[in-house]
Amino acid sequence: MKKLISAVLALALGAGMLAGCGGNANTGSSAPDNSAAPSSSDTAPAGDKTLNLYTWQGMFPQEVLDGFTQETGIAINYANFDTDENMLARLEAAGGGDYDVVIADDYIIQTVIAEGLAQKLDTAKLANWGNIDPVFQGQFYDPTNEYTVPYGSGVQTIVYNPALVQKEITGYGDLWDETLKDNLAVIGNYRVVNGMALKVMGESYNTEDTATIEAAGKKLLELAPNIRLIKNDNVQDDLLSGEVGAAVMYTSQVTLAMLTDPTLKVVYPTEGVGFGIMGTFVPSKAPHPEAAHAFIDYVLRPEVSAQCFEYMGYYCTNQAARDLINDAYKPFLLLPDNIGETEMIQPIAAAAEEAHNRVWTEFKTACGG
Amino acid sequence: MSKGKKKSAAAWLMAAPLYIFTLVFVLGPLVYMLVLSFLQRAEVWGVTSQVTLDNYKNILTPVYLRTFAESFRLAVTSTLLIALIGYPFGYFMAKLRGGWKRAAMLGLMIPFWTSSLIRLYGWIVILRSGGTLDKALMALGLTQRPLKLLYTYPAVLVGMVYALVPFMILAVYSSAEKMDWSLVEAARDLGASAPRAFFTITFKLTLPGLLSGVILTFIPSMGLFFIADILGGNKVVLVGSLIQDQLNQAHNWPFAAALSVVLMALTSLMIWFYRRVTHVKELEGIL
Repeated sequence: MKKLISAVLALALGAGMLAGCGGNANTGSSAPDNSAAPSSSDTAPAGDKTLNLYTWQGMFPQEVLDGFTQETGIAINYANFDTDENMLARLEAAGGGDYDVVIADDYIIQTVIAEGLAQKLDTAKLANWGNIDPVFQGQFYDPTNEYTVPYGSGVQTIVYNPALVQKEITGYGDLWDETLKDNLAVIGNYRVVNGMALKVMGESYNTEDTATIEAAGKKLLELAPNIRLIKNDNVQDDLLSGEVGAAVMYTSQVTLAMLTDPTLKVVYPTEGVGFGIMGTFVPSKAPHPEAAHAFIDYVLRPEVSAQCFEYMGYYCTNQAARDLINDAYKPFLLLPDNIGETEMIQPIAAAAEEAHNRVWTEFKTACGG
Repeated sequence: MSKGKKKSAAAWLMAAPLYIFTLVFVLGPLVYMLVLSFLQRAEVWGVTSQVTLDNYKNILTPVYLRTFAESFRLAVTSTLLIALIGYPFGYFMAKLRGGWKRAAMLGLMIPFWTSSLIRLYGWIVILRSGGTLDKALMALGLTQRPLKLLYTYPAVLVGMVYALVPFMILAVYSSAEKMDWSLVEAARDLGASAPRAFFTITFKLTLPGLLSGVILTFIPSMGLFFIADILGGNKVVLVGSLIQDQLNQAHNWPFAAALSVVLMALTSLMIWFYRRVTHVKELEGIL
């Protein structure tokens, strides 16, 4: 009997460990409603009383969600995903149903639209449509602005601590410098990291020429000795704790880092800046399209928008909200004019994608020594 | 006769849900994975129905083969360290008196009431530059500057050993606990020295526990990649990390499936070989 108990305990602990594998190992997040599919019992088109919102965790301040419910009487089910890919897989399984409003990254939205999983927005129902900053419209994933409303934008920048780095950094090329040995952190996105080498070589992020990608891979191997760590979440912590002197990171992380330590330096790489947009769309078979439009319009209000961007720490995509943003946040939330050349990372052909993957795996292995 | 038949039918009915559950939730996904591994990826998203062996050929690319070698190296090193720590621990735990024994068992179990991920973040706090360990070492005057301990191979090993050592301890413990200690006393009475008595009697009788502990730690360590990702800063690339990349970033599910199939086949093969060599029949402490 005793043995049985120990066996059960041992198995339980094994299961706990497997559960650890299942989730996104990089995040410590575990929202209670993480994987709950919302109920879609209420399918009446008019007078919708619920809204199924599907996006990453932490995309809206609670006051905004509560404010919407208070004003409209529509309750919000906030379900979250950890990766764009999981979102698309689940949306595909639901046949474009289950969810009313989804917010995800630009490149995945292109696939969502191509697969017929998004519906055209009814701009007549969006009184605040004109508030959208046109800079963030007409992009590759929705060239005619029929399906999406941008909700925040980010760029990849280099942030460094002048006390821990001897060299002045102005672009990606400087990261190859020997003085940065074992002192650099990069985000775990292979298109971004391989793209740094492509940019240094004067190429596009979206080149489909495998020889060019492999040449970038060779270049990247020379960067390996400088890499201390690769990770997606909370890279700013390692910069703030002094674990690394410089880091390549996303806008929201830059905002967090700068708010904590204003002596850090932010660099928009001279070789060109990669930027991305998060888009809001309504799935093709959304059970509550009325509520979805009401919510999108609500979030487009200048004062609500300003609140959201201050909370998220991404660049403001609402031109009417620009002036309402707190001055302390303005340097991080308004896209600077001197940002230089920008390029969005777009989906590429499978052969190029596979070349990127080989390069990435080789690079990570080389970083391990 | 007919009564016996009825009884077995009832027993079968009782067990049926278990079989159905296993078929649907264990065999089902395995078959799905196997089928998927022979399909062709679609250009951007999803798979096509075209059958191909390319995914398996792709594994033979040196850079991907190396991830298998890396996984194997880490699994073997961790298992050895775990055996070195877990065997004496389990052995002495079995020799404790009643109350202490229960306390030790409880101490072993309590950490598992917290998610393994959270406990790994605890290791980050300890190991990071200027972290708990650094502060302690500097306070003792052993080091002058913060060491770079986190995001290194030893940090990964610490995490692996920490996560898996209880399996070894439990296996050795249950083996040592049921051992007949009078055999050791007899050996000592007949003039054997303590080390000799240990190696001829105790070690041999607890060997099944040690050997099954090796299986219990080796199998998970072939697949545990999130420890290497978190404590190794993604620089120790294991098959598991590669599979995750293929699923979450590259959208290449067939390749991820093929990698999983090969990983499972290799691990099974190693276990089969290990059991042939060591003649471990039952998993001590588990069955």
